[in-house]
Amino acid sequence: MNALQRWIIEFGHPPVAPLIGYPGARLTETTLRQNLSDAETQTQSILAAHKRWPADIILPMMDLSVEVGALGLSVRFPDNESPTVEEHPIRQASDLDRFRNTDILTDPRLQSFLRTLSNLSDLPDAALCAYVVGPFTLAGLLMGASEIAMATIRNRDLVHQVVAFAARVVEVYAVECIAAGADGVIILEPTATLLSPAALEEFSGRHVAGLAEQLEGISILHVCGQTTALLDAMCNTGVDGLSLDAPVNFPGIIDHVPSSVIMIGNVDPVRVMGTDDTGEVQAEVERLRAGMAGHRNFILSTGCDLPLETPPENIDTFLITARQVNHPADDDGNQHCEETT
Amino acid sequence: MNDTKRERLAGIQQAVLAGDMDGIQDLVTAALAAGLEPDTILSEALTPAMAIVGDDYEKGERFVPEMLISAETMKMALEILHPLLKEDGIAPVGVVVIGTVEGDLHDIGKDLVAMMLEGAGFRVENLGVDVSPAAFVEAVRTHRPNFVAMSALLTTTMVNMQAIIEALCEAGLRDDIRVIVGGAPLSQEFADRIGADGFAADAASAARLAKTLIGA
Repeated sequence: MNALQRWIIEFGHPPVAPLIGYPGARLTETTLRQNLSDAETQTQSILAAHKRWPADIILPMMDLSVEVGALGLSVRFPDNESPTVEEHPIRQASDLDRFRNTDILTDPRLQSFLRTLSNLSDLPDAALCAYVVGPFTLAGLLMGASEIAMATIRNRDLVHQVVAFAARVVEVYAVECIAAGADGVIILEPTATLLSPAALEEFSGRHVAGLAEQLEGISILHVCGQTTALLDAMCNTGVDGLSLDAPVNFPGIIDHVPSSVIMIGNVDPVRVMGTDDTGEVQAEVERLRAGMAGHRNFILSTGCDLPLETPPENIDTFLITARQVNHPADDDGNQHCEETT
Repeated sequence: MNDTKRERLAGIQQAVLAGDMDGIQDLVTAALAAGLEPDTILSEALTPAMAIVGDDYEKGERFVPEMLISAETMKMALEILHPLLKEDGIAPVGVVVIGTVEGDLHDIGKDLVAMMLEGAGFRVENLGVDVSPAAFVEAVRTHRPNFVAMSALLTTTMVNMQAIIEALCEAGLRDDIRVIVGGAPLSQEFADRIGADGFAADAASAARLAKTLIGA
């Protein structure tokens, strides 16, 4: 039994865990820039979000640029848009030398994320997970997405070296996230969606596996987009859970997923959660819940992080609808989902 | 066309499919020297090759890295062919102005679409990333395209597409062009809502959509 399964059983009812981060900034009327650079601001936004939307997994705001920014790369930082990395300087292995002695843990913004975790670590009745960027995605930020994609075929040695470097950076940060009070980490590996299953195993999977094995806590792998073809490769990483995006047909693939892997998802964060119709949110949550009925290895969530402009009443509806489930223990002490209504 | 010429076209097509970036320009140069016309090489070797690449991607038999390398291989062939096509007065299937919208620095999807469109015979004016509404308007005035193609990867930037369409309307240019949009968080519903003429879920379907809209 993995760490996430143990937590679900201890938790006592089926967890509901939409990926709420940015919408908290609306509740505190602060900008994303303020939240992503200041621990107290982000803490207050996450607390405000948790008060209104008491999800069972508490998450900070999703930011793929934390680690690469801590390495010293230039990050564009608009007030209310996701930060974006502006340079991708690695062209050859020797280009990594300038980063090898960088202590990412001294970076102020990375420190603010660790302090946010620490501030949130005592909240009762919920797990706290940190986000860390995946090794291949960090390597992609260092090299550029197109460049690393082509290099997986034309310059494999370089990719192996950059990903190995990235994996060590991620590990350092992930260990600190757990030390700061997180119960686990969600490894954000969106760039892996570019890869074939074999390439995912070669360039991402083994490093994700190493990270999951090393960490004391829950490990969840999140990959955006249509990842059905990558399912086996992602399961082979040995993570406790897979957080997958809306294009994946959960009811259609759940029978192919080992019961030891918790599937987390996957209401569409834009098409459904961004709608102006709460009835559509309710219908989608009910449809997914019905499709996954009887599967113990499922956590109802959104397919990806909710955008800043998500209507708050849609998140209300998501949680109200999702809570209409109970989770009695069966004879062997395990859990299963049943409708209460 | 004799068998030797057919073999040369097949060789070029195979080089694109295999992503032979080191060999493609020699093959194209040899084909031209053997008397093959530039537009024949484009329409009977490069375009079919990229269509196969797109089909394979949609079937899950080819992935983005392979697709990118095939597209780069095709671009290297076009570096030789484009000047010759211009000299011969061969008009492209259509003209496309493409860019990633303001605030968004992601280029991989946009560049794949651009390359698939080039492979389908379009002339592509690639404005790059972080393109403002004013820059789109200026490019439309300059290049007089059939299409404007916009890309966004972020939910925070996809909303900027509407501002570009509005800017084209205000400039009096909207009625002359078709607007197609794409990017991971987008949907047909979103495209309809902002007044775009089409939505493409991936690069292969973008090229098909453009050809359908233009009646090519």
